[in-house]
Amino acid sequence: MLIFTLRRLSLFVFTMLLLTLLSFSLCFLFPGDAVINISGAINATPEQLIQLNESYQTSRNIFFQYLAYLTHIMDGNLGLSMASQSVIGHEILNLLPATIELSIVALLIAMFVGIPLGFVAAIKHNKPADNIILSVSMLGYSIPVFWLGLLAILTFSISLGWFPSAGQISLLFEIELITGIQFIDILLSDSPYKWQAFSDATAHIILPACVIAVAPATIFIRLARTSMIEVLETSYIRAASAKGLTFQQIIFRHAIRNALIKIIRHVGLQFANLVTIAMVTEVIFSWPGIGRWLIVSIDQRDYTAIQSGLLVLSCFIFVVHILTDFIYAALNPLARGVKYGS
Amino acid sequence: MNLLDIRNLSIELISNEQNILAVDKVSLSMKEGEVRGLVGESGSGKSLLAQAIVAVLDDKWHVHADRFHWRGIDLLRLSMPERKAILSRDIAMIFQEPMACLDPTTTVGEQLAEAIDSSQLSGFFWQKQQQRRAAVIKLLHKVGIKNHSACIKSYPHQLTEALCQRVMIAIALARRPILLIADEPTAAMENTNQGQIFRLLSSLNQLKNMAILLISHDLENITHWTNTITVMYSGQFVEAGTTEQIFSKAMHPYTQALVDSSPMANQHLPAKSRLMTLPGSIPILQHLPIGCRLGPRCPRAQQDCVKAPSVSNFHGHKVSCHFPLLPSPKAKKSKLQKTKSQKSHKPSRVPND
Repeated sequence: MLIFTLRRLSLFVFTMLLLTLLSFSLCFLFPGDAVINISGAINATPEQLIQLNESYQTSRNIFFQYLAYLTHIMDGNLGLSMASQSVIGHEILNLLPATIELSIVALLIAMFVGIPLGFVAAIKHNKPADNIILSVSMLGYSIPVFWLGLLAILTFSISLGWFPSAGQISLLFEIELITGIQFIDILLSDSPYKWQAFSDATAHIILPACVIAVAPATIFIRLARTSMIEVLETSYIRAASAKGLTFQQIIFRHAIRNALIKIIRHVGLQFANLVTIAMVTEVIFSWPGIGRWLIVSIDQRDYTAIQSGLLVLSCFIFVVHILTDFIYAALNPLARGVKYGS
Repeated sequence: MNLLDIRNLSIELISNEQNILAVDKVSLSMKEGEVRGLVGESGSGKSLLAQAIVAVLDDKWHVHADRFHWRGIDLLRLSMPERKAILSRDIAMIFQEPMACLDPTTTVGEQLAEAIDSSQLSGFFWQKQQQRRAAVIKLLHKVGIKNHSACIKSYPHQLTEALCQRVMIAIALARRPILLIADEPTAAMENTNQGQIFRLLSSLNQLKNMAILLISHDLENITHWTNTITVMYSGQFVEAGTTEQIFSKAMHPYTQALVDSSPMANQHLPAKSRLMTLPGSIPILQHLPIGCRLGPRCPRAQQDCVKAPSVSNFHGHKVSCHFPLLPSPKAKKSKLQKTKSQKSHKPSRVPND
């Protein structure tokens, strides 16, 4: 297990290095001066420019420039936003937790709805239930998310009035920022309206999270269905049934765990897809997250913000990917041991 | 009374274009405490037959039988769950490829523990866990695994193939079955391990009076351990009788060919001469010959063989052939007559019920 952890960590370090290399190369690929792209100081005086050139080591060769860029990132200095001249590091720290919250909730909804439905479809293979679940999943997968989001707002917030249509929480509640994750902050705060705030935040997150979850959930349905069908045909399931276990015992003791192993790897892969959908959804639901901020930055040609936003988002996706790898290892004894040639 | 009595069991593979009759009217009967060998080339439907007996075939196989009695109970009259309950209580099966038959994500100990019927355990629920563990350890000792604590904790991929096979046997013994079906229990195993497994099975047979159906492709090897043998070819019944009858007085040309192809029975052969074998190979399921499926390969085949032969019974020695190899001169004479006047003098035919 230790070796497995070390392997994942080294993979993390090297992938992060590659990602910084990519975002570093972006400042040369964007139009304009590389130093200004990287620092975002568009209104700098000549003295400040000289100082910037020195701190990013533009006089030396590209390797040292990259090292200087890395040290800036390590210090948490991601430059200034070209559009607003505010510090990008602070903005990201304020916005990223909202996106993490939204995408994790959406991922959980997608998993808890999609995977059991897929299992049901596999158990009822070639029966009406299977066909219904499959066609619904096909339908869900083909609906474009921006249209679905607008439709959801139209029905659930405007016609029915069940859920609010925009924002993360009603402006009436004042919640102090501690961790950035809203639900945790609400629980930590000592406001007398704590539980009202909590239910209000829940009502706000349901609609966008469900809209994001639709497409990944349909993919999980298909993955869960195929892997469960595969597992049910293996000889150890047949042996278990010859052993005298009932069908339920076979499903819950043997089949689900083995099917989950095959799915859990794809969850990490699907997460990147989910974050992309979340970015669009944040715009529709005015969710104060990093996705909306990034799309606005792209609109405003805010190169510094684009660069750092991409770096932070991909870092987040990669962390989730590694976490799913650990869950995979916890479920699968074969992945934990030392393997040669892998 | 027979322990297991199966008459004319057929297994059909349901597919879109054409249904394939993989096992064609095979009869099998077993007595209490009997060790019966089920012999045939690979692909002759032995494993299918075994899986049909324990009812673990999936929906695409359709099983049909004229009679299926288990200790006097007519299983065909029972519903599937009832049948399954009786079968899994009394019959246990050891599958081929033990490694693939153990759940790779669950420890061996857990898989053994869940096979133990809770009716075997006495005491209150807080004692059951401990009793279950004790029973697991006892089972492992019974199959000759001494290092039980390491074995309980390990996953199937951490054990060798032979150890997995022993664990499979332990799982099969956990329910104290009356009939044990062993499907190629020693495939892919060295000779020393093979011997140990067979000795274990035969001691179980002698001490617990457990009946064993031993499935193998190796006629010569299992003759040491069996009382009776049934031979199958390409899903059809070929011959059944005591081990002695099959090995020394084979009546079916196929059984004769099997015996002839084993080096042990042919020690009189001069050195470096060829062993007797049948030409050709077993037909694939999509292109099964009509009538007797051995027809195209049979040295004694005649025009009649395009019709499936019925089973003839010579004092318990059953054979399914139009032209059996009959040892005594009297029988030879009757066979000559029969070839002239189209099967009029067959001895004591078994009615096809």
